[in-house]
Amino acid sequence: MVLVLYGTEVSAPVRAVLLTLRALELDYEFQEVDLTAGDHLKPDYVSKNPQHTVPTLQDGGAYIWDSHAIMGYLVQKYAKDDALYPREPLQRAIVDQRLHFESGALSVRWKQLKHLLFEEKVTELPIEKLHETYALLELFLDGHEYMAGDQLTIADFSIVTSVSTAHLSIAPVDATKYPNLSAWLTRISSLSFYEQANSTGARRMAELVRAKLPKQFDKLWQKAFEDIKSGAGKM
Amino acid sequence: MGKLVLYGVEASPPVRACKLTLDALGLQYEYKLVNLLAGEQMNKEYLLKNPQHTVPMLEDDGKCIWDSHAIMAYLVRKYGKNDELYPKDYHKRAMVDQRLHFESGVLFQGCVRNIAFPVFKHNQTEVPRTKIDAIYEVYDFLESFLGIKQTYLCGNNLTIADYSMVSSVSSLLGLAAIEQQRYPKLSAWLDRMEKLPDYQSNNGNGAQMLIDMLSAKITKIV
Repeated sequence: MVLVLYGTEVSAPVRAVLLTLRALELDYEFQEVDLTAGDHLKPDYVSKNPQHTVPTLQDGGAYIWDSHAIMGYLVQKYAKDDALYPREPLQRAIVDQRLHFESGALSVRWKQLKHLLFEEKVTELPIEKLHETYALLELFLDGHEYMAGDQLTIADFSIVTSVSTAHLSIAPVDATKYPNLSAWLTRISSLSFYEQANSTGARRMAELVRAKLPKQFDKLWQKAFEDIKSGAGKM
Repeated sequence: MGKLVLYGVEASPPVRACKLTLDALGLQYEYKLVNLLAGEQMNKEYLLKNPQHTVPMLEDDGKCIWDSHAIMAYLVRKYGKNDELYPKDYHKRAMVDQRLHFESGVLFQGCVRNIAFPVFKHNQTEVPRTKIDAIYEVYDFLESFLGIKQTYLCGNNLTIADYSMVSSVSSLLGLAAIEQQRYPKLSAWLDRMEKLPDYQSNNGNGAQMLIDMLSAKITKIV
């Protein structure tokens, strides 16, 4: 049974699935979907995923989409144990809340910012909303090493992909302002499979974002660019 | 079984999704009002339980859970007599999860909150047409998710995905009507949901409240 992942590595949700696949040590095929070329809007792709988003997972004859649904599916079906997505109802409820926070608050805000940058070409970016999200993530991490408690779960994979991209481009996570979040980012980026599953794609996306950045980010851009070039912080 | 307490307001779609679920599972619970417009969700006591300061929030024997989708899944898994409302089968579950995440992102955050927040929090009386267009885009997707002759969003059985989706969709009808000709499947699905037992008390009344609240404040689509 071959797993096929349709997507592109610049996409944060695709990278969340890549982190999960790597964590579970699953073999898979990667099918590139070029969003700029409209691959996702072609009839063949839409027939697999009527929402025409990435990622989409093919498992045998079944097509599953939405990164959070895919991650949950992969752990439940293939993991040796439930560590990444606990079965205990209360623990699972916490992971689920974090996943929905990602799809609701974090993801939507990130998409809105990208839309303003790439489609509307604004000169001012309202990043306060992203900082509000960082502040909440900081609270979620209070007294815990990971997003949903004391162990790594798919909530960490889901959240790290967009946070790392924002961190490398428009909203670096200031360690003095967000000590928990900053420490968590370092912790997740130290995972053995992080570099390949998330880092490369996050940097590519960050560069695309920074190329479009309005004047207000010049200083930030310089520093972030230097960080990328030097590979600082293993981001 | 411990005591279940649901915190919320009638007008809130995700609160109503939880009410529909609690009722479907035959669960008794206490309902505690959190007056959002008065900022009660920012009270120290509430923040300690839910740092995201949202509704709904469920307290089960002292343990607090929030986010409607997490709450609904929790209730079915813990108290459901069977897994019908949230199937254990991997593939079926993944489909329900996709619909739930579609609701949190594209529908609730993308449409409901995106319109309601500026209106209620910042007293904006004009709504950009793009925000109304976004509702129709959601309707287009839902129409495509509903297969031919499919009764509910994930097949022929009712799931928590239906409760989640209807709570928000029903709240937007004042801004974007669902014409039967344009959306035959979605229209039929909505009719079917409205005929569920106790739909009015669990969702219908609250949805109308939100429709009326929005209509009272919004003067123009620009």
